[in-house]
Amino acid sequence: MTDLVLALASGAAGGILIALMPRAGDRLRNIVALIFSAAGTLFSWRVAGAVFAGRTIRISGEIAGLAWSLHPDPLGAVFGLIVSTLWLFAGVYSFGYMAEEQKQRTYYTYFLLAFSVTLGVAFSGNLLALYLFYELLTFATYPLVIHERNSEAMKAGSKYIIYSLSGAGAILIAIIIVYSWTGNLDFTGGPLLADCGLRPGLGWVLALFVAGFGVKAAIMPLHRWLPAAMCAPTPVSALLHAVAVVYSGVYGIVRVVYSVFGHELAGQLHLSHILPWVAAFTILVGVIIATQQDVLKRRLAYHTVSQLSYILLGAFTLHPWGLAGAICHMISYSTLKVTLFFGAGIIAKGTGKVRVSEMSGVGWQLPRTMAAFGIASLGMIGMLPLNTFWSKYYLMRGSVAMGKWQLALVLIASGLINAFCFIPTVVAAFAEKGEQPVLEKGSAMGLMLAPTLLLAGIALLIGLWPGLVWPGVDAVVNWFF
Amino acid sequence: MTATIKSNLPVFVVIMPLFVAFVLPTFARRIRLVEGLVTATTALGFLGAGYLASLILIQNGNPINYSLGGWSAPWGIEIQVSNLSCFFLLMVAGVSLPIALFAADNMTHEVGGPQQTTRFYALYLLLGGALAGMAVTSDLFNVFVLVEVATLSCCGLVSSSNHPWASEAAFNYLILATLGSALILGGIGFLYIITGHLNMEFASHELNRVWQGYPHVVWIAASFLLVGFGVKSALFPLHVWLPDAHSAAPSPASAILSGLAVKGYAICLIKVLYNVFGIALIQDFGIHRILTLLGMIAIIAGSVFALTQDKLKRRLAFSTVAQVGYIFLGLGLANSQSLTGMLFHMASHAVIKSGLFLAAGAIIATTGKNRISEMAGVGRKMPITMAVFTICSVSLVGIPLFSGFVGKWHLLLGSLEAGNRLAQAVIIVGSVLCAAYLFPIIRVAYFEPTPVADCRDPGLPQMIALIMLAAWVIILGVVPGPFLELAKRAAIDLLVMK
Repeated sequence: MTDLVLALASGAAGGILIALMPRAGDRLRNIVALIFSAAGTLFSWRVAGAVFAGRTIRISGEIAGLAWSLHPDPLGAVFGLIVSTLWLFAGVYSFGYMAEEQKQRTYYTYFLLAFSVTLGVAFSGNLLALYLFYELLTFATYPLVIHERNSEAMKAGSKYIIYSLSGAGAILIAIIIVYSWTGNLDFTGGPLLADCGLRPGLGWVLALFVAGFGVKAAIMPLHRWLPAAMCAPTPVSALLHAVAVVYSGVYGIVRVVYSVFGHELAGQLHLSHILPWVAAFTILVGVIIATQQDVLKRRLAYHTVSQLSYILLGAFTLHPWGLAGAICHMISYSTLKVTLFFGAGIIAKGTGKVRVSEMSGVGWQLPRTMAAFGIASLGMIGMLPLNTFWSKYYLMRGSVAMGKWQLALVLIASGLINAFCFIPTVVAAFAEKGEQPVLEKGSAMGLMLAPTLLLAGIALLIGLWPGLVWPGVDAVVNWFF
Repeated sequence: MTATIKSNLPVFVVIMPLFVAFVLPTFARRIRLVEGLVTATTALGFLGAGYLASLILIQNGNPINYSLGGWSAPWGIEIQVSNLSCFFLLMVAGVSLPIALFAADNMTHEVGGPQQTTRFYALYLLLGGALAGMAVTSDLFNVFVLVEVATLSCCGLVSSSNHPWASEAAFNYLILATLGSALILGGIGFLYIITGHLNMEFASHELNRVWQGYPHVVWIAASFLLVGFGVKSALFPLHVWLPDAHSAAPSPASAILSGLAVKGYAICLIKVLYNVFGIALIQDFGIHRILTLLGMIAIIAGSVFALTQDKLKRRLAFSTVAQVGYIFLGLGLANSQSLTGMLFHMASHAVIKSGLFLAAGAIIATTGKNRISEMAGVGRKMPITMAVFTICSVSLVGIPLFSGFVGKWHLLLGSLEAGNRLAQAVIIVGSVLCAAYLFPIIRVAYFEPTPVADCRDPGLPQMIALIMLAAWVIILGVVPGPFLELAKRAAIDLLVMK
């Protein structure tokens, strides 16, 4: 229990501490940020370890007569592990990337606050706590979206707030309906609506939940804020708009389907036959739009939209294999996508190039970066030595087991389009060997390069040895089935 | 002595501010004494309200009936302290105390010399007394008298500002408010014609016995009262006076006008509708549908108008129009959850809007700028003021941990119970619009690059007032305990036919 409190408190404490040190130098501030992110990571690992060991960790209380609770289960623990590990990487990367940027104090304050809030989403044990942290996440990340303070950033920020709050509104209505049926919001003791049986309006409640969380999970057509938010600094795009914030939406949907409805009840709804196709639509259209983008970060953003729906597709199959694929993909995709974003950030910092069409020859200037970028690109296709192979395998197996083999075809088609999305860039980057010097020098570059390479390495390692993450996936599947 | 005060407390909380208001001008030369007296009076009122509320809570909501002059009803005038009265008394006292504290340092700057300041305070206490009276009265004619006292002091408060346009706004307000008063008087008159009683309980009893004989008269009385109180509590589209009046008034006056005065008329309407007509009659006549519809229109229209305003205080004033919509919506849905939500939202909006207006007042007073687009950098220069503004805004949007959420939660439960899907959607859309018109202010203040010239947080008394209001917001949002309990019981009282 202390671990849980400390895991949640580390980020917030660090953020507040940094906010209170207006005169501190960059080095001191970085050290504080590192210590508190590392502490948050360490404690959330300990929480996850305890959860996987089968111990119950629970904190509960009341807000205005409504019960809230923090109670991580295996799904929450996996989400917490992904988020906290990547936060540490993104923190180190930020030290390099942000070295010459303005407003570092604001940046690190909200960077650490968002860490706490995201862990809160992961570890929440009832709908009220989930809703609270989901709302707070919008506010904690807003200052990071508008970091550049220009009119484009401000517009993106407003879009982000309005989209997120509208989604939260839909969630609130759904929560109210669930509360009026059950008088309870706690989802840790089996599916919340299991005793309600099939009743009119159930499909609407699921639709409201999916639409509400779908805003942050960037289900088309609710995805518009995500490409706009790419004006944020790269570590933010990498961590928040490829993993933490968007995963909180995906996590919310998985949570609702499996913990609020339960796979049996959800399977009886007509909606559950439509939702996989909504995800499939987003997968294909997202990646097709991605191939049309010239600005690398926008291409990555649309690619995120597409990839998030892989996870949703797996969850919507309501089949153990599908869910296993979804959890696997949550883990695998996050490592690869952060690698891609980190690579894009290094390219932008090192050469000033942000467009795909300008990339030829970049590979010789930034060989190690582009190597990591290439590995991640291969992973996005779902090639064997990379971890996404396994997640795609389980996703397809789940789709077939559910009786919808067409979905497996969608996944294969998407893999092929993914090849067009990044491989030509990598090839072009190594196309013409010019006389350019290698730019990967200096401490700032080193701080950016180290996490990038390490993450690519981790992706490879999981791909070669999937047993590394399997216990976590297994625990989640056993928890719900 | 204490025994006398205790037993006469229901009338004491009304008489005390009125009495002090009339004495005040004699001390006009010693402004510190005036300020001290006002603060002491509001503090005493707060204690009295708290004591009455605890008494009622211990008695499980059994009302305290007090007959003025020892003449019992229906011959004498009766004062009844019920759950609803305690709830509203606490709300009035809890908000007017910080406003009085805030005014103590600020007024001479906004209204001119000590003479004008004293006049302002006299009006302020008159309004406070009238509002306390509205809380406890159970006599229809007293309602009218108190409404008049409140209206005239409101007009005085608006015109006390030394801006040239303040008197114009006050005059507009006076014209419309007088029209409203006339309608209210007419409505009460019609009720008296049918029932022969002015005491609410007796009138209600008689009305429910004889109304079948005079359905048209009852209709006319209801519509007169609805329009009359609608004008006064700024129900859209009868709100036209409010934006000018509330933005032209000095900031503490804006705070009490938007936070409390508007609610006072709403409480009168609630009493007349639920305690005189009764829930059965309301539903027979379909009044609740009109209220729901008007409430929904007000929420959307008020918010949309607020979006387009660039002047800070005007935006807040239009926000009040929208929030009044929530009150009428909850009133119209007419079940215990929605009424609880409506009452709680009323209280939380009173606290929030006072906080917003006072913070806005502090910003305008120190920077001299009243447009939102000119406020860049205020957040860094006036951290505490802006923090209070932010807390209040977030609460008004309805984020858990803040008071606004509790009210909206019950309102949503109420609209679910009433089976009104549209109302749910409107409540949510209203929240999103609320974020759309309040968050840009926060964004400009904290995140816009150009800092304003030198300015600092206001002095200590004003800071205490602001922090007190922010604390109310959080306390009401996290541990509303007895306060929410009072609202729940008051809601049940309203639905029970006597």
